[in-house]
Amino acid sequence: MAIRAQFEGNNEIGVFAKLTNSYCLVAIGGSENFYSVFEGEIGDTIPVVHASIAGCRVIGRMCVGNRHGLLVPNTTTDQELQHIRNALPDTVKIYRAEEKLSALGNVIACNDYVALVHPDLDRETEDLLVDTLNVEVFRHTVANNVLVGSYTVFSNQGGMVSPKTSVEDLDELSSLLQVPLVAGTVNRGSDVLAAGLVVNDWMAVCGHDTTSTEVSVLESVFKLSDHEPSQIQTQMRDSLVDTLS
Amino acid sequence: MAHVVKHITAVPSYKDFVDIVLSRTQRKTPTVIHKHYKISRIREFYMRKVKFTQQTFHDKLSLIISEFPLISNLHPFYATLMNVLYNTDHYKLALGGINKARQLIDDCAKDHVKLLKYGDSLYRCKCLKRAALGRMVTIMKGQSKNLQYLEEIRQHINRLPTIDPNTRTLLITGFPNVGKSSFINKISRADVEVQPYAFTTKSLYVGHTDYKYLRWQVLDTPGILDHPIEERNAIEMQAVAALIHIRAVVLYIADVSEQCGHSLEEQLALYKNIKPSFSNRPIVIVLNKIDVVRPDELSEEKKKILDEFRAEGEPVLEMSTMTEEGVMDVKTTACEKLLAFRVEQKMKSNKIGSITNRLHVAVPKKRDDKERPVCIPEAVLKKKKAMDVDGANRKLERDIEMEMGDDYTLDLRKTWLLQNEDEKYDVIPEIWQGRNVADFIDPDIMKKLEELEKEEEAREEAHYYSESESDEDEEMKEIRKTAKKIREKRTIITIESGEKRRVEKSRMPRSKKRTRSVAQLENELEELGVEIPRNSESHYGRAKSKSRSASRPPLKKKRDESVGSVTRSKSRTPRDKSGLRDNTMIRKVKKIAKKAQKPFNHQAKKGEGDRVILNMKPKHLFSGKRKAGKTDRR
Repeated sequence: MAIRAQFEGNNEIGVFAKLTNSYCLVAIGGSENFYSVFEGEIGDTIPVVHASIAGCRVIGRMCVGNRHGLLVPNTTTDQELQHIRNALPDTVKIYRAEEKLSALGNVIACNDYVALVHPDLDRETEDLLVDTLNVEVFRHTVANNVLVGSYTVFSNQGGMVSPKTSVEDLDELSSLLQVPLVAGTVNRGSDVLAAGLVVNDWMAVCGHDTTSTEVSVLESVFKLSDHEPSQIQTQMRDSLVDTLS
Repeated sequence: MAHVVKHITAVPSYKDFVDIVLSRTQRKTPTVIHKHYKISRIREFYMRKVKFTQQTFHDKLSLIISEFPLISNLHPFYATLMNVLYNTDHYKLALGGINKARQLIDDCAKDHVKLLKYGDSLYRCKCLKRAALGRMVTIMKGQSKNLQYLEEIRQHINRLPTIDPNTRTLLITGFPNVGKSSFINKISRADVEVQPYAFTTKSLYVGHTDYKYLRWQVLDTPGILDHPIEERNAIEMQAVAALIHIRAVVLYIADVSEQCGHSLEEQLALYKNIKPSFSNRPIVIVLNKIDVVRPDELSEEKKKILDEFRAEGEPVLEMSTMTEEGVMDVKTTACEKLLAFRVEQKMKSNKIGSITNRLHVAVPKKRDDKERPVCIPEAVLKKKKAMDVDGANRKLERDIEMEMGDDYTLDLRKTWLLQNEDEKYDVIPEIWQGRNVADFIDPDIMKKLEELEKEEEAREEAHYYSESESDEDEEMKEIRKTAKKIREKRTIITIESGEKRRVEKSRMPRSKKRTRSVAQLENELEELGVEIPRNSESHYGRAKSKSRSASRPPLKKKRDESVGSVTRSKSRTPRDKSGLRDNTMIRKVKKIAKKAQKPFNHQAKKGEGDRVILNMKPKHLFSGKRKAGKTDRR
């Protein structure tokens, strides 16, 4: 199921949260409203943890992780790292990456098996990704944009990429990532998907502005309801054509 | 309309308008003038008043002109609606009048400013100003009707519903009192008044409904009667404007029960009459009020008319807004029809090419045999199966926050997953003995410690420590001894070198050995054969002889450099040289001192202790009456 949420009036919730299959990190905000959205939905199954990275609230863009591990930038303080270590289950490996491109969330997109990374990422970071997150790493761009982490969101079930991606690129990326892909938007037409959307294998949270058409597209591509991704081409086609052009 | 036309500022009535402008002039321009002032100043004073008033009028009128919508720039639907509601000619005339007034006021001000240039006294200038302002007010007075009319229009425009003429729209039309408003009330959140008489709805109403993830605008129009367009009144014309200009699916509602007061024949005639106005748009014909009489219960003649309806080639549906029978069916059919129509049109346009990627679902081709299973926890699946929507209703942080109010503080450690729960709130130092604790955190520390302890135990059991200690004892003693010696030696060396390199202190005078003495002299001279009288008269013996003066001997013994072998300093090192190694250093220090004195020299001070103020300002300059420009010293 997909739900809509807002972080202190801001629709870019992917900036303030990191959702994976085994844990969820949420920024420390002024009130607990945003945290409780996650807590209420998945608090029973996986730990939902308040976290900050390098004193910032933009944790979703700073770190990258999946079921197996979590990679934080080297600007993370010892105390923050210790807090995250204590709060996450022991099965999750946590490492600090010495990476020049320190907004790891913007340069890396991953699920539990595959990671798509910025072409200029350090080789050491790539090795660290393989060791920590147990993923295959591919250096690639999305719609000629190097910030693959910002413009791509995918889980083990499916994925969504920037609406500027061509059909050929979609097919290529899909074969690379081994999940069905569509080009879509969130937050009423925003193409920075990772900023407006966090997703794992059984739930998604998107910005408050997301239209019902967008929600239905992402529900079917991430297989959150009983829909299949192919529905986008069949049942939802008319609605899409009418809204998009 | 509200989204088409920006917010319009209220238009004041003529009286208010003039009051606003004149009081503003009074407030914002200078008010004091005297006749003995220079004439240029007086002229300027009044010119400013005239110009300011003119500018204020100008700005206010320009605002009105710019804020009211230009009919030619509006969507044709709104243009027609404006025409129906306000009569475009009248509207244009009103705005034109305002524009003309603005121009007249500008000209009037220009004339009077010109005249003011020749005003030769305060009184004349004042009269000219009065005349100018008076004329401007008179011009405005001519516009009082227009202002009033524009204000009425403004209020009406603000109350118009927000209709988007380009979006997906269901347009409901039909004779009065056939159930159009009941239908919109059923399918949307709109709340349109429904009454059992004709023309309950006197203007356009908008509701919104959802279908297929899309938002649909539902437009309720006033009922229309079957007569030529020239005879239609303003209420009907609104409906016609919507019918003609809005690209929507048209729902023609007919009343099968004929309770509306119009027979089915009439309704069919109206349909045929108005059909050309919404040609090439999807149409749905709806037979309403089937709760009163079912279509198949009608008489044969009526059935024939219904067949005629069906023969129009449009879907004919039945519903009852009373029992809600068929209402959703009508909505679905209408929406589907419009959607198909819009999609078909869009597919024809060249825009569709740019969105093909959005309609494409890329399915992965297998690239290896690796399984990539989905990872969903058991609990989630179970919950999904049980259709458990609310979950365990656990107490959320938000609830706690609401309960505690301002006392709430975020407890980060609450979510920690530790082996020993009781360690959760232990205080962990950040720095311990000058080292960052985090640098030494090792997840395996307990295991390593255990191993170490085991090793230690094993060693102890093997008496590893006791034996080795006695063995080493003598050796160690030897080593320690040598080390001590080395240490001592080293201290001595350090002290010696320190002595050598010590800063020069005042030296003790060298004890001088006397090389000459009286006895020696006498001996030498005697050897040479010179006789020396050894008496008190010999001049070299004078030192020892008694002084001729009767003065008493000095009280203190005079200090002599060569008194005995006791060495005493002849004097302390002068202060300016004390603590300095050698001459170079002394010179250097002197230079520094001189430099340090420089700022004091500039201020003619001896040093920082010198606080003398040599010349105070004399008292007469500080006290008493002074005129402008005489405060400083003459």
